[in-house]
Amino acid sequence: MSGEIRIYIGGVHASPSPTVIKTLLGSCVGVCLHDPIARVGGMNHFMLPHGGGPGEDALRFGVHAMDCLIGAIMKAGGDRRRLVAKVFGGAHVLAIKGPLSAVPRKNLDFVDEFLAAEGIPVLSSDVGGHCARHVHFHTGTGRAFVKRLQGTRARAVVEKQSRAVVPPPYGSVTLFDENERV
Amino acid sequence: MPATILIVDDSKVVRGMVRGALTADDHRVVEAPGVREALAALDAETVDLVITDVNMPDADGLALVRTLRGRPRERFTPVLVLTTEGGEDMKRLGREAGATGWLVKPFDPEQLRHTVRRVLAARAR
Repeated sequence: MSGEIRIYIGGVHASPSPTVIKTLLGSCVGVCLHDPIARVGGMNHFMLPHGGGPGEDALRFGVHAMDCLIGAIMKAGGDRRRLVAKVFGGAHVLAIKGPLSAVPRKNLDFVDEFLAAEGIPVLSSDVGGHCARHVHFHTGTGRAFVKRLQGTRARAVVEKQSRAVVPPPYGSVTLFDENERV
Repeated sequence: MPATILIVDDSKVVRGMVRGALTADDHRVVEAPGVREALAALDAETVDLVITDVNMPDADGLALVRTLRGRPRERFTPVLVLTTEGGEDMKRLGREAGATGWLVKPFDPEQLRHTVRRVLAARAR
């Protein structure tokens, strides 16, 4: 029987057993990776391509979210050499003017560059536009289902979600010889 | 003091991030996408520090640590593990394998530089 998990901004999840991962995307991007031989997959949900500093949630940034997703899939039994991708989000949901209006495009450009650098083919994508997207990803089969949301309710949900995230810190550092954290 | 550091990670993007963090401190960086390439690089030159991932397609990073501890030239070379694996059991395995330290991704570049400075300073003493 499949399990279900919902992820939010900064979320990364991969599972060795069949799981439906759900998320809601506005300008954020969610990348689904799947190893069709091991039947292992996972998804992330990030806000910006690069950035982060002390005290910020590193997994909100694509460069960390992608690396951690690949690591989680390998830990679950996948092989990075077999991974294929599906990409969603990157919409202009919020009526933002100025430099932030370029965020969706930057997110999508980042994903293209990252996946090309890592040699991971993109099987399908549903990106851009002005609609928020509900995404359901089945980790065992690699199938993804997308529902586009229209109107003000979608914008309200995305705005509420973006405010609700509690940022976790960067990973820890442990030096064994000194038996201490730095 | 600038050092030569070997980065072992199957992700080209992560190697680039680590390289960027370390070259800001004037270190010279050698890259390897896997354990086999890492051992070939270490056959070719001496390094001051190794930073390795754990889960890689060709072999486990902890196997690399154990191999280095059996090689006369790298027996005492500090090895930092940089991985998404954050469990205490994995850290214990890393310590038992002979790793010097364990950094959990995602990493903060400044924290990585700080850790590298400490490890290199301890080695120099």
